Amino acid sequence: MTNSGVKATTSSESNGRGPAALVIGGGIAGIQAALDLSDAGFHVYLVERSSSIGGRMSQLDKTFPTLDCSSCILTPKMADVPRRPNITLLTGSQVVAVSGEPGDFHVTVERQPRYVDVDSCTGCGLCADVCPVVMPSEFNAGLATQKAVYRRFPQAIPAAFTIEKRASPCKIACPAHIPVQGYVALIAEGKFKEAWQRVRDAGVPFVGTLGRVCYHPCESTCKRADWDEPVAICALKRFAYDAGAEQDIPQPSPRQWDERVAIVGAGPAGLTAAYELLRRGYGVTVFDSLPVAGGMMAVGIPTYRLPREVLDHEIQYICSLGAEVRLNSPVGKDGGPSLDDLRREYDAVFLAVGAHGSSKLGAPGEDLPGVFQALPFLRDLNLGREVKIGKKVAVIGGGNSAIDAARCALRLGAEVHLLYRRSRLEMPAAPHEVAAAEAEGVELTFLVAPTRVLEKDGKVAGVECIRMELGEPDASGRRRPVPLPGSEFIVEVDTLIAAIGQNVESEGFGLETKWDRVVVDPLTLETSLPGVFAGGDAVLGPASVVEAIGAGIEACESIHRFLRGLDLCTGRQPSQPRPQDIIVEPLEQVRRAARLPMVELPPAERISGFREVEQGYTAEQALAEAQRCLSCAVCSECMQCVVACERGAIRHDDQPTQLELQVGAMIVATGYDIFDPRRKPEFGYGVYPQVITTLEFERLASASGPTAGKITLNGHLPKKVVFIQCVGSRDRTLGLPNCSRVCCMAVAKQAHLAHDRLPGAEITVFYMDVRAFGKGFEEFYDRVRNEGVIYRRGNPSEIVKRGDKVVVRAEDTLLSEPIEVEADLVVLAVGMLPRQDADDLSKTLNLARGEDGYFRESHPKLRTMESNVPGVFLAGCCQGAKDIPDTVAHAKAAASAAMILLARKGAGNASD
Amino acid sequence: MLQIDSRQFVQEHGLLACIQCGKCTGGCPMAIKTRLNPRSLIYRLLISGNGFDLEGREELWDCTTCATCFSRCPKLVNPMEAVIALRGAFVEKGRVHPNVKTALESTFRHGNPLTMPREDRAAWVGDMAVKSIEQGAEYLYYVGCTPSYDPRVQGVTRAIVSLLQGSGLDFGILGAQENCCGSEVRRLGELGLFEMMVEENQETLKSLGVTRMFTTSPHCFNAFKNDYPKNGFQVQHYTQVMAGLLETRSLSFSKPFEKSVTYHDPCYLGKHNGVFDEPRKVLKGIPGLTLVEMDRSREKSLCCEGGGGRMWLEGTNPGTRLAQMRVKEALETGAQVLATACPFCLLTLEEAVKHLNAEGQMRVMDIAEIALQAL
Repeated sequence: MTNSGVKATTSSESNGRGPAALVIGGGIAGIQAALDLSDAGFHVYLVERSSSIGGRMSQLDKTFPTLDCSSCILTPKMADVPRRPNITLLTGSQVVAVSGEPGDFHVTVERQPRYVDVDSCTGCGLCADVCPVVMPSEFNAGLATQKAVYRRFPQAIPAAFTIEKRASPCKIACPAHIPVQGYVALIAEGKFKEAWQRVRDAGVPFVGTLGRVCYHPCESTCKRADWDEPVAICALKRFAYDAGAEQDIPQPSPRQWDERVAIVGAGPAGLTAAYELLRRGYGVTVFDSLPVAGGMMAVGIPTYRLPREVLDHEIQYICSLGAEVRLNSPVGKDGGPSLDDLRREYDAVFLAVGAHGSSKLGAPGEDLPGVFQALPFLRDLNLGREVKIGKKVAVIGGGNSAIDAARCALRLGAEVHLLYRRSRLEMPAAPHEVAAAEAEGVELTFLVAPTRVLEKDGKVAGVECIRMELGEPDASGRRRPVPLPGSEFIVEVDTLIAAIGQNVESEGFGLETKWDRVVVDPLTLETSLPGVFAGGDAVLGPASVVEAIGAGIEACESIHRFLRGLDLCTGRQPSQPRPQDIIVEPLEQVRRAARLPMVELPPAERISGFREVEQGYTAEQALAEAQRCLSCAVCSECMQCVVACERGAIRHDDQPTQLELQVGAMIVATGYDIFDPRRKPEFGYGVYPQVITTLEFERLASASGPTAGKITLNGHLPKKVVFIQCVGSRDRTLGLPNCSRVCCMAVAKQAHLAHDRLPGAEITVFYMDVRAFGKGFEEFYDRVRNEGVIYRRGNPSEIVKRGDKVVVRAEDTLLSEPIEVEADLVVLAVGMLPRQDADDLSKTLNLARGEDGYFRESHPKLRTMESNVPGVFLAGCCQGAKDIPDTVAHAKAAASAAMILLARKGAGNASD
Repeated sequence: MLQIDSRQFVQEHGLLACIQCGKCTGGCPMAIKTRLNPRSLIYRLLISGNGFDLEGREELWDCTTCATCFSRCPKLVNPMEAVIALRGAFVEKGRVHPNVKTALESTFRHGNPLTMPREDRAAWVGDMAVKSIEQGAEYLYYVGCTPSYDPRVQGVTRAIVSLLQGSGLDFGILGAQENCCGSEVRRLGELGLFEMMVEENQETLKSLGVTRMFTTSPHCFNAFKNDYPKNGFQVQHYTQVMAGLLETRSLSFSKPFEKSVTYHDPCYLGKHNGVFDEPRKVLKGIPGLTLVEMDRSREKSLCCEGGGGRMWLEGTNPGTRLAQMRVKEALETGAQVLATACPFCLLTLEEAVKHLNAEGQMRVMDIAEIALQAL
């Protein structure tokens, strides 16, 4: 798998004698093998998938049977790795391709971005202090939390932090790719000004405007809907502006480049491009034929949806950065400069003229006084010009402009009928706008079309309509309306407003067009003329503010690249998943909480004027609503860490890289997975808080763990502790026939720790047979029993609840009696399994796997450290379950086997 | 003497794989109140050499065939099937309880274990219009013996018919032609009679060209699905059919059922066949209904003691019925309705509610009866 934009570098360092070695996996086996190879003078690449080496052993408290501290014996070895000049440590990395032969392998390693520069990061943790995203700590087996920017554990090597990033559907669905989760997380933290700034920093100058008028495609992909309802993203954006916008007007943005860009059209696309270009240090002049800036935002959208002080403030902000805005200045018509004039005078042109033309009704009588087109009607109203309509108005159409016109006419005191030729289902207008119009008193009539306008005394007297029915779907996928002959009827009105379509006025520019729309490259927005870019409604036809803003951002990027002589395409199509394909695992249990409704003016108050209908959230509401976000992407890209980091180590735009390595031998030391006891529902793991795994017990017992070594459950010291052996091993129902080899002794050790730390506690171990086969194991088993730990023979069948305790149901097979043992802590000795993704590596390296799923050794007695592939060696639990002494011995054996091959090759090369 | 060839028996039943872990006995709901101990029984069979005497092992009749032992065994041993096979030795010698004898004879003669006349099998239809499968239909509704004859369960049968007719599902019934599926006969150890019934029923289904069928009872569902030879026809439990109809919106509920309900998983639906979600899907689809779960639900559900032929047998400890323990667990949830989807569970649980004088607090209902009220 090759990612576009992936940098490939080749490394064939040989900081040692002979060819280098590759060790895959940085647990105790991998570390030991790497150190041995390094000691012998060979160069080693140590590839580790996670952000730190240390593996499972770093999670353990004590080790059996000697009870020495796991970290204390592991940490010195870990710390040794970066000190060795002949070890190259590659964390966050995986081997993705291998070719060649023993002594001469070519290996491709893919490094996932860490988003933190390892060399600059001092591990101070200021980033984590400000990070708003809390997630369960994998290192602490979910018993503690960490931030989205984190270090796996304090002794991690490298000590640098790392950022967890996944995909969030909302950002992908947004046409302007606004970092939704970022500003929502900031609102949830009460950082309202930062939230507003976050949206602006993403290149979006219209925060308050979008928060009021956006059709929010983000919300329909919001994964929160799988639990209850989507997060009110749009309303939160509005809140970010209302509560966080800086009212002071900024200083002009410093000029960095000599080039000047002409922008034709001061609508959302044009002004967004202007904003971005100014921030990048270009000179910008914006031309618009209207007497106001803002385009459709200013002359199309009524003020009850978008108060002008919000829009004007946001436009003023852009102007203050240094944009020269020339109003009443048409381009390519009415005596204004031509496009060619602009091309001569400026270094690049962005054409964003919108779609301000209106489609004709095509019915006789439409030129009568009293017949309006919706767009000029709304424009005149918005510009404060006098608009005279009658008492009874018919609006024709079902789009947003039709609804806007109808609601405006209502506010002018008229009785309004909206006539639409299809049914409600096919209406292009936003459903909540339609509902609002209805609530205010607009009469909706569906499946009717006007046939002619009736005249009386030279004025409109009514409209003759015909009823329609829906036929087959047309090109737009909507069902085509078909007239019903003879069904004509008359609606008596004195005013008619036609809102049946907008079009682009694209003639006069000399550009290639299709259906009046300017033709552009969809990725770069280049037109048929060099240096001229186009976007927004002029390209898309009547679309939305957010799509126009997205186009403005892209246009700026293209113009910048064009002016700087860079490639226009590179890296602009990142392979992102489709929002609907993203599977989200919530970071914590989702508690049902309905979306907070937006307070609106009552309909009766609304229609008396043009006051804003939606009232916005209070700070309290916004905090609550923002906290509903599931943090799909984990890191929200709120950028607080960037601000906090004193070393400038954060790299949010890090990309995956590929590394080509040349090595002579490989050691696979990828370790094991731990059985998920939810696969044995009869034990109630995940249901009863009293039931935990042996790994969780290790973290509880560890002095560096979440409870600082206190074995507590919800703050209480358990008095009755039960251990259950063989959970997820020796179990054919799960396809896990093998014995995990370590659990008998791990449980003996944990029973000892429980005895030690919980004075007076009753400790019972349920077992089938105790396998104490290693050096000192049986003696340790003797010691634990002598301490008073009770061993009962029988493997429990189920755990049920009784009051606030759980009851372990088993048969004591020595008594031949079914028994029930009450417990306030049950520890499941979970088995070891082959890595779930062992198949991937198996395919990359051609490694054979045994029936148990572990990598297969080439001889079960004599060559357990050799794989079936010559030159590839196995170390530790990837070959089968092992305890630490066996793992270390196996790793040293694998290193030794690899050295033989490398030494021979080295000697061969030397004699060549 | 009731001697069996134990060496052959342990081989045939795969008992040599047993590691004596005791999970079967530890989870067995009957082990706690009778002498039944599946692990110990297997051990005795394993060490008995060539002959094993079943004399006095009355606890074999305590097994309810709930499948807990089998589902917990880490070595895929099936103690339940071993018990059923050992019962066969008693049956062969005619050493069975008179009630069992009556039930087996009735099944042989009348096609049902309830000593009811064969011609009355479709009497439950009453004034309803139900299509005969002979007229051709997409599905056969195999009603079953208890749902055909038991006056309490007939209500469930009629509810299923009303619900499915309302959804437009094309199904027909066998009427008086319907014959017992043999599930309980097999579990009582009468394998010869069971094989005869399999043959008869297969012939009937084949001649009518049945390819898809559903049943009222999880016991019949399990028999057709797992005990009959694989022969290409698809069998479902009615709750699965309903869940499917809800998904395609062919079935929808309009009236609210404003009660809190807890659901008892029948062994033959849940533990035997893994059907846990569909009955819950139906319940969750009913407006107003609040589903509360008992601690022991799904894989951990407690048997009602009605399976394995136990509808005709008291067993060695008739004192505390499991159904009573189960109703107590249900009462703990505070639910007003104890729902189930099995005729045997319905009868045993209802009996237990009466026995505990809990009729004021809790009603036992089949899912179909609840669904009908919400239609």
